[in-house]
Parts: sequence; C-alpha cells; structure tokens
Amino acid sequence: MIRSLSGNRAFVLGAALVIAVLMPFVVQDTYWRHLFIIAFIYAMVASNWDLSLGYAGIFNFGHVAFFGVGVYAAALSTKFLGADPWIAIFLGGVAASLAGALVALPVIRLKGIYVVLVTFAFGQLVLQLVLSQSEITGGTQGIVRIPALEAFGYNFLRDFKFGYYYVALGLLVISTIFLRFVVRSDFGMSLRALRDNEEYAVARGIPTGLQRLKVLVVSAFFTGVAGGFFAIYLRVASPEIFGFPVQSLVLSMVLVGGTGTIYGPIAAAVILTFASEMLGSIEGLDEGRVMLIAVAMIIVLLFFPNGLASIWRRRAQRAALADSADKAVAETRLIENSAGASR
Amino acid sequence: MTPDLALEVSGVRAGYDSYDVLMGVSLKVGINERVGLFGPNGHGKTTLLNAISGVIKPRVGNVRFMGDEIAGKSPQAVVDRGLIHVPQANLLFPQMEVMETLELAAFCKRAKPEKSANLDKVLQLFPRLKERRRQQCKTLSGGERQMLSIGVGLMCAPKMLMLDEPTLGLSPKLKDELAVAIGEISQTGIPLLLVEQDISFVLSLADRMYLVDHGEITREVSKGQDVDHEQIMQMYFGEEHA
Amino acid sequence: MMSLDAFSALLVSGLVLGSIYAMMASGLSLVWTTLGIFNFAHGVFMALGAYVAWTVSDAAGLNLWLGFAIAMSVAFMAGLGILIERTVVRPFYGQRDMLLITVMTTLAVMMFLEKGIQMLWGPRLKQLRPIVEGKVSLLGITISAQEAFIIVIAPLVLAALWAFLRWTSTGRGIRAVGQNPDAAKLIGINASAMFAVTFALSAVLAGFTGILLGSLRLLTPGLGAEPLIKAFIIVIFGGMGSLAGTIGAAYIIGLVEAFLITTVGFYWAPSALFIILIAVLLVRPEGLFGRRVA
Repeated sequence: MIRSLSGNRAFVLGAALVIAVLMPFVVQDTYWRHLFIIAFIYAMVASNWDLSLGYAGIFNFGHVAFFGVGVYAAALSTKFLGADPWIAIFLGGVAASLAGALVALPVIRLKGIYVVLVTFAFGQLVLQLVLSQSEITGGTQGIVRIPALEAFGYNFLRDFKFGYYYVALGLLVISTIFLRFVVRSDFGMSLRALRDNEEYAVARGIPTGLQRLKVLVVSAFFTGVAGGFFAIYLRVASPEIFGFPVQSLVLSMVLVGGTGTIYGPIAAAVILTFASEMLGSIEGLDEGRVMLIAVAMIIVLLFFPNGLASIWRRRAQRAALADSADKAVAETRLIENSAGASR
Repeated sequence: MTPDLALEVSGVRAGYDSYDVLMGVSLKVGINERVGLFGPNGHGKTTLLNAISGVIKPRVGNVRFMGDEIAGKSPQAVVDRGLIHVPQANLLFPQMEVMETLELAAFCKRAKPEKSANLDKVLQLFPRLKERRRQQCKTLSGGERQMLSIGVGLMCAPKMLMLDEPTLGLSPKLKDELAVAIGEISQTGIPLLLVEQDISFVLSLADRMYLVDHGEITREVSKGQDVDHEQIMQMYFGEEHA
Repeated sequence: MMSLDAFSALLVSGLVLGSIYAMMASGLSLVWTTLGIFNFAHGVFMALGAYVAWTVSDAAGLNLWLGFAIAMSVAFMAGLGILIERTVVRPFYGQRDMLLITVMTTLAVMMFLEKGIQMLWGPRLKQLRPIVEGKVSLLGITISAQEAFIIVIAPLVLAALWAFLRWTSTGRGIRAVGQNPDAAKLIGINASAMFAVTFALSAVLAGFTGILLGSLRLLTPGLGAEPLIKAFIIVIFGGMGSLAGTIGAAYIIGLVEAFLITTVGFYWAPSALFIILIAVLLVRPEGLFGRRVA
C-alpha cells in the first residue's frame, strides 16, 4: 500500500518535471514563459520557507526579507563590485544565509509569538535600511540596469527568455533535491523531533539552538539564490519586495500548499502565480486582485486549514494501515500537548 | 407544579473526539437530596459532570433539570437555569483578586440581584477568603482555592451544585472543615451531586451514592445500607485481584 | 550638553509618540491576552477609522461635526471588529495552529482593507482637521494644540479602558475568559460574546488613534503600518499581556524613539530601536516587565 503510494508520487513528480522541461517548446510566448519563471522563483522561496516554518516549526515571518536580501546583494555586487551576474546570484544566497544567522541570534532564545514578531520586525528593519541608504540602494527608486545573464557569448535575453526559463527550472530542481535531502537526513529528523516534542528531543540530546540556527541559515540560502536570480532576471531591485503583498502572497503559497510538505508549496506557487495573473488580466479586476487573493486565502484556510495538500494526504491516510492511523493520533496528541504547554 | 427531581439523567452516552467514555448513564437527584458519585479515576465521573453542565454534548440521552431538558445546551444556558458545576482542581483566574473573582461570578442575570447577599454568605462560610480578598488567585493555597471555587459556585445563585472532587489534595483537617461547609450549604436547600474518591467523605455527606465503573453506574447505595468494602476494592483492582 | 528647550521638545515629541503607541498597543495586547491571537489588521483599522471620520466630517464640512464624525467612526469600527472576529478568527478558535492561521487570516484582512481603502478613497492626499486648533505653550516650547490634546487624552482613554476591565462585569468577564476560558464558561460567561466585545473594543481604540494621528500626518492606506511595527516591539518590551506593562513600554519606546531621532536621525531610529529590542530580549526573553512563565 505504502509502496504504491510513493510510487504514485514518483510518477506525478516525474511527469511534472517532464512537462516543465518540454513546456518552452509548447509555450513560445515571452509573457507565458515569464510567468513560469516568476512561479519557479516563488516556488523556491515558498518551499525553502516551508523548511523553517513547516519542518522546523519556527514561526519565521521574515523569510521574504531573506529573499529581499538576496535581491539587493546580487544587485549591489554587480553594481559596486562589478561581479559577474552568475557570481551575483550565488552571492545573493550567501548574503541571505548571513542574514539568516543574524535573525537566528534572537530567535533561538525565543518562543511562539515572540519569534513571529521579531522575524516580522526584521523584515521591516531591512526595508527601512534600504529606504534610508538611498545613495547606495537607490531608495524608493531601487537599483536599475543590472547586467543580464550571459554564458559563452550567449545573451539570455534572446530567444524569448528560453535560457532564463531553464536557469529558473534548474535552480528550482536543485533547490528541491537539496530540500528533500535535508528533510530526510538525520538533521531533518531532529528538526521534526524538536517541532513535535521539544522537551523529549532536548532530553535526547538534540541541541535546540544550534539546530534552529542551522535551519535558518540553510533555508535562507536558496531563498537568497532565488532573490539573486530574480534581480538578475528582472534587471531591477526594488524595495517593493519587502512589502506586505509579496509577503502575504508567498506565505499563502506555503500555507495553501500545506506546511511540512515541500512539494505542496511548490505546486501552490505555480497555481497561485498564474491564478493571481489571470485575475489581474480580467477587465476591471486589475486593481481589486489583491482583495480577491486575500478573500481566497481566507476561504482556503477556512476549509483546508492544513493546506490543499491535506486533501491528498487525507486520501492517503484513509488508505493507510490502521496502526499507522493510531500513530498519527498519538503524534497529534503529543503536538497538542506541546502546543498547549507553550501558550 | 414543582418537580420532585432536581436532576434526572437518563441513558447518556458521551465522550471526547471519536470514543465514548460514558456508556449510557442514568441517575437521579431529588429536590432535597445529597447524592454521591464514587468510582476510580478515569471511569467517567468528570465526563458525566461535563456532559450535564454543557461543557461537552451528550451523543445520546436526556438530561432534565427541574423538569426542563438541558442536554446539549450551552454551559451558559445551564448556569442561567441555576445548575452550577464546580470543576475539579479549578485554577480559576490566576491574575484576578479573590474579591473580584467572587463579584464576577455573579455574572448571570439571575445571580446579579442576589450578589451582595450571596457574597455575605460566602464570606461567612469561608472567613479565610475575607482575609485573602486582595490576593490574586494564583497566590492561594490548595485549600483556599477550593474554598474560592465553591464560593464562586455559590455566587452563581445555584439551585443545585455539582462538586467535582472538592477534597483533592487536601489535608484531613481541611477535608473536615470543607465537609462542614458543604453540609451547611446543603442545609439551605441546595441539592448536591458530589463526585469523590474519598469514600468516607462521601458517606459523611451523601444521602445516597452511585458507584461508577467503566463509564457505567454499577450500584446504588442508600444511607444506612452497609457498604461492602470488598466490593469497592474489587472496583478498584478488578475481580481477579480481589 | 542639551539645552533645556531641546530637552522639552524631545520630551513633548516623545510623549506624543508614546501616547499614540500606548493606545495602539493596548488594543493589540488586549486581543492577545483574551483571544491568544495577534491581529495583523490592527494597523489598517487605524487607517480605516481615520478615513471614515474624514468622510463624515468632510461631508458635513463643519468642525462642529467632528465629534459626530468620531462617533460614527467609532461605531463603524466596533461593527467591523465584530464582523472580523466572527469571520476570520472564531472559526479557528481551539485549533492547534490557531496562532499561525490567524496571523495569515488577519494579514489577509489587512491586504483586503488596505487595497479597499485605496480603491474607495483614491490616491488624493487627505488630512483630518485637528480636533482642537491653535497653539499651546508647554514646558517653555510651543506645540500645536492637537499634540497637547493627544498627550492629555491618551491617559484618559487608557484609564477608562483600565477601569472598564477592572470594575465592570463585562470587563472582568473579558479578563476571566483570557485567563481561564473553561472556568469562565462554568460561571455562565459567554466566551464568544466576550471575544467579540474585545475585538470591537480593540478596533475602536485603533480607529480612534487613527483619527488623532490623521490630523498630524497625511492619510494613507498604510497610515497604521509603521505604528503597528512599533506596537509589536512595545508589546514584546512590555512582556506580552499585562496592560500596565504595555502602556509603560509604549511611553518608554516613544521617548527613546524621540531621543534616537534627534541623535541618530530619522532613518536610523527604527533600526536602532530594533537593535535595542534584540539586546533586551537576549537579556530578558520575557520582556522588560514580563514575568517568566513556565
């Protein structure tokens, strides 16, 4: 039973990858390819966010700030250091990881709502910094004319973003493989143990603070890479990425997709990017799109509080053996107990 | 017409999530009666009180209070009718002062006009609370907290009281004091349903007693009737060990 | 050395900030202690209250109507608070991810209202007329009467809130539900009704704060965004939960911010404040006035 389910999943994943690889041959239009590229970038951010939020259970609300740090790090390094755009993308990841370590300092000592507030305030702080240092960051204007990607004399702007599409897809695939690897490693197991029953995990010798620090640094890396790529691809860095709309959109991808699933947020990122764009293209809805997304977010949370992925999981659970269902009940109890204790 | 029964529970099944704790419980409390409910931990006594007071909804069965059906009603509606549940090991409101808590407890419309009279009654019954009136609930000792908890029940202007293990964790001396106070309360004509683990405490107070075992009422014992200690041991430790 | 005038100016601007923050943060903290959620829409409530008051007073066109405008706005905010509690908070009450989900839903409400305000009232800049006009001399410096009004009215509003929670039956009920909802139910307190009242009260406080701020600053849909971040910091500083701690922290932060603005400048002040916050949390994870909870 279990095998057939995971076999099922492998099939779905393989099919999705094949479709994604072949897509540019079907979709020749720049606009549609652009949407896919943006969706892949958001998918990286959302799935990496899921690592710290869903797997490690850190109520981290500053993840979009890591993305923004990546954007600005890449933009600034091309502008002031004359870095090659490929290097700049990588530097975006490095800078975001450093930011992750910085945020971890207070976060590892705090719990629950304190973590929400500190990480949230961190994002606002970065925004303030960007706005105040306008000689360097361009303030509200942002940074423009960032150099485009090039490899062996091929400019990626050519051929209707054909090249960019594959770079985005490639980064997403690497990031996802990396996330799956992290989640299945001993490290990933210890994160889940900490999330589900901190006292027990600590008693078993799992160092809470160190694991939280690591997960924030790790989950920030590909987020920053996504940010770096975003800057290089769009050739601008603008402070809007720190705003509530982006924050809420990506967060809704994580929660709608289902926390602690990795694939859920990726799927939700693709769906929501297109849904949001479709809504925007309807006559007269352009302005109200944000409002519609907000309503949709609430409706999804009302009916699927564990994310849309829970529909799939619920079906899988029903099929699962009775004893594993019992295990799930026992596990939820544990979680409930620990949640109750933390309030 | 005044009903002769204060409380009548018939065939109640109730529990949490997907499993039942109560397997069809029926009991009666007369209009001037003190009834004990005795049985081992985890056999459904507290669940029964929760099902009566509306904290959980019975899946099947009827609960009639003073002739009215109250099964499935909200706790607020049950309190409004005067059936007051004093829960086990109640922590009350940690950051509220004793006097505030008592005044607050006269929250329902019915209790408000009787507030000052009831307050006098409570302070007379438990003078200790008067000494502690400016202290926050969380600073009270176990015995004081239990007194306050019962006092809070009295402030709701009860027509009947259900007390869940009022002696839990108390010293023998405090238990005696509390027994006297509870006795005095029932002298004023308030019927009682008393859940207890301390058999002598129940016997000293109750007119009648039900034994609860595995979510069912297995026996009814009236005052004067001999209580078979053997049987009680059996309930606790099972037949094979008796 | 700082001159006496500069010091008074600093003190006054710190008090104005502190008053605004105290009214804002106390609503946030009230909802947190009672419902156990953090309302991210609290900032946009502030903007909405100011916009509604602007519409009412603008339509009437008379200063005399300002009181009416405030009343209308307050009533509107109360209704909205109840509506929002019913729709996006109550359905999740008791769920294990409630804190996280309600952060999401209230963020969604924020997005919705902010965009809604922008579409409804348009991009043209607006400002509310001050409730009191003219200038006042205070501590040797001259400030606008509106600022003086804010400094005076905030303690009154907060004292009224405190008295309500402390002395009235409903106020005590709200505290009881926050401290022990199960025990509160068993004495006949309707927890849902208390939640609704709490949310409405908090929305009214935010709306009223918005009206006060709306005559000092220009109205934008994001009027409350920056005060909301400050309110977060304040609630953490105050140790999450006690109203007195929150109010004390609000005035401290207001004064510290005024000091930072004159020393490190307007742009660096928020960053400096944040660094101070982190430093405090590293030493006292339970906040400045908080008690350590197990």
